[in-house]
Amino acid sequence: MSEYYGTTVEDIFKTQNKRFRAEGSEGVDAVFAYDVQGEGGGRWKLTIKDGACATEKLDSDDFGEYSVKITVDAETFVGVTIGKIDGTEAFTAGKLKVDGQIPLMMELPKLFTKYAPPGKEVTAADILATSESRFQPENAEGLDITVGYNLAGDGGGQWTAVIKDGTCKLEEGLRDNLTVCNIVKAKDFVDLMLGKLDPIVAFGAGRLRLVGDMEIAQRLPKIFSKFKSNASEPVEELIMLKKIISVDMKYSTGPTMGKFLNGLKEKKILANVCPKCGRKQLPPRECCAVCRCDVDEFVEVGPEGIVTYCDIIYYASPDPLTGETRETPYGALFVLLDGCKDREALWHLLKKEDLVDVKRGDRVRPVWVENPTGSVYDIIYFEKVR
Amino acid sequence: MANRAAICAVAQIPFESNLWQQRVQGMVFPVVKSIMEQTGVSFGGEKGIQNVVTCSDDVFDARTISDNGVTDEVGAHYQGEEKVAMDGVNAIAYALACILSGHDDVTMVVAHCKESQSEDRNMCTNLAFDPFYCRPVGLDYLNLAAMQARAYMDVSGITDKHLAKVVELSRKNAAENPLAIAREPVSAEEVMKSPMICDPIRDLHVYPVSDGAIAMLIANEDRCREFTDKPVWITGFGNCMDSYFPGDRNLASNFSLKRAAERAYIMAGVTNPEKEFDMAEVHSSYAYQLPMWCEGLGLCGEGNGGEWIDGGGMEKKNVNPSGGPLGGFPIMVGGLAGAAEAVLQLRGEAGKRQIYGAKKALAHGTTGAAGQHHAVMILENK
Repeated sequence: MSEYYGTTVEDIFKTQNKRFRAEGSEGVDAVFAYDVQGEGGGRWKLTIKDGACATEKLDSDDFGEYSVKITVDAETFVGVTIGKIDGTEAFTAGKLKVDGQIPLMMELPKLFTKYAPPGKEVTAADILATSESRFQPENAEGLDITVGYNLAGDGGGQWTAVIKDGTCKLEEGLRDNLTVCNIVKAKDFVDLMLGKLDPIVAFGAGRLRLVGDMEIAQRLPKIFSKFKSNASEPVEELIMLKKIISVDMKYSTGPTMGKFLNGLKEKKILANVCPKCGRKQLPPRECCAVCRCDVDEFVEVGPEGIVTYCDIIYYASPDPLTGETRETPYGALFVLLDGCKDREALWHLLKKEDLVDVKRGDRVRPVWVENPTGSVYDIIYFEKVR
Repeated sequence: MANRAAICAVAQIPFESNLWQQRVQGMVFPVVKSIMEQTGVSFGGEKGIQNVVTCSDDVFDARTISDNGVTDEVGAHYQGEEKVAMDGVNAIAYALACILSGHDDVTMVVAHCKESQSEDRNMCTNLAFDPFYCRPVGLDYLNLAAMQARAYMDVSGITDKHLAKVVELSRKNAAENPLAIAREPVSAEEVMKSPMICDPIRDLHVYPVSDGAIAMLIANEDRCREFTDKPVWITGFGNCMDSYFPGDRNLASNFSLKRAAERAYIMAGVTNPEKEFDMAEVHSSYAYQLPMWCEGLGLCGEGNGGEWIDGGGMEKKNVNPSGGPLGGFPIMVGGLAGAAEAVLQLRGEAGKRQIYGAKKALAHGTTGAAGQHHAVMILENK
């Protein structure tokens, strides 16, 4: 079983049902299919229905019916799950592929609590192995000593730290004639080093015995710096507040944008023309940015025009307030309407059926709604003139 | 390096409480156009403006990076543009830094805010607080101001009657200012009968919802005469920020205002603020702030606000001849509107409100809740 970031794909799916949040699953009826590829991968299917979650490991690549399928390599999957890899970045980079109802992915944080990888227990040997790096020569000047560790019980053993000429070497086994020897259970030793057990208490209760030069024994916390554990310590809960910032706003159009939007009501596209440089502005604005003068004259342009740029959007951002996402893929384009030149382009959406063969220089025309209201959406999209 | 900077022209649209017929851009362009017409200044090239300093607020504009919505209108197309998201006096200070550093020899400051665009401006100022604690308990600029008003009134001997007089006098001045919003006179009795909205703040103690824009042209000593024969010199500036969390503050202390004033006075060589200014425009968005800020600025004795109002201090010291914020100054634009009034007064162009022989003026602007940040500027015509 391959491990990534200290845990495995199998571990993650084993905890899936336990991490399920019934309260976050209201109205969700979906099947998530996971095809986790590479070493340590496998196939899993999560069925969420009626406030319950069933996790199933599959033997074949026949997922049956699913709402959304996630295809990802094992390392990326573990990385994203435990937060070592940014999910959006992995998605953009193509390392994580999502097929089907993509917006369901947004539900996952509500459906499951975060996976916490099992913490590794640190051992006495782990701690002592860091003795040489924790050694502080400036606090051991002139010392020629041996410090013994006689640790009993599970994970125990015998070691000697040899300190001489400003260096420290750790050896297995106990030397004869130790300057000082720590006699303690391995478990208590670990707790002492992690700060979970108070040395005075341990000494007083006889759980820690020090034999030999007591003066040296008292200097040990200075001769060695404090051991720092890399293992994941349980941290206090960090809270994320979910809030929508919402202040109702009234955006005035002003006379210029107002005239443009009113034009759309009559299925007319109006540009305004700078009286000095003759540049058209689309949509129209109050002043000419170049000449810094008022622009009051309007002309009708289009409705047909030429594509100057176009692209295809595969991942649409949800509307910040409704959470609704535009259907993807969709096309966006810059169009130079008849009567416009240079950089006088308008931009809008492209008809889905035209995505397959649209290119720069193609002729397009607007498709209008039946009853225009004076909105940008009075034009549904532009379509290719065929 | 230039050693002095002057305000060469000011332009303001008449402020309104609901400028529904214009979008922000339509509000901004007329003031920029007016500066170009008044001074003949151009943009770009060796002699033109290379950098515009704007001042606006994202939440009130309901968009991020509020300045890039108005780059065309402020003349910044293909030029430099920098935004100050604080009260407009700080935008003048930014322009001052551009000039004194020698980086620019002429620059323009443009500020706008359309408070009426939001359903309720207190919802916008609520967002100035942290989301974990202060927002959920409902803090906004109005109710923290009320807390400060109560704290200040307890130490200064200010009463409801004094506050009513402040509003009465401010409205009297605003009546003479064609650019103000609240120009109808009100009597002190009417003020004292107006509804209590956040004790001790009454409805008429609060500045009206205000929309508007202001622009100023600022140039160094060598070039200012190209644009005006009546330059107004910026001779002092100081600012100071108090604590963000309200509980950390002594709300009645005027701490940051005193610091800001001290720095401005040192720079301008002012030693006796009570006597030296011919006029002052203080950014008092709520009635209690007028005497409180005047105490902090040293325009009246500390703890003396009540007596000072009774003794006609506001009239004698020519405080807020424009009517001040109680006549209607938009947030962000407020201190700049006060500075614009000071410029008109120092140029002898204030019409019916003209203070004869005014030579030295103080303009003050505040940002944040209950005067968290203060900026003080000294302007002189000699």
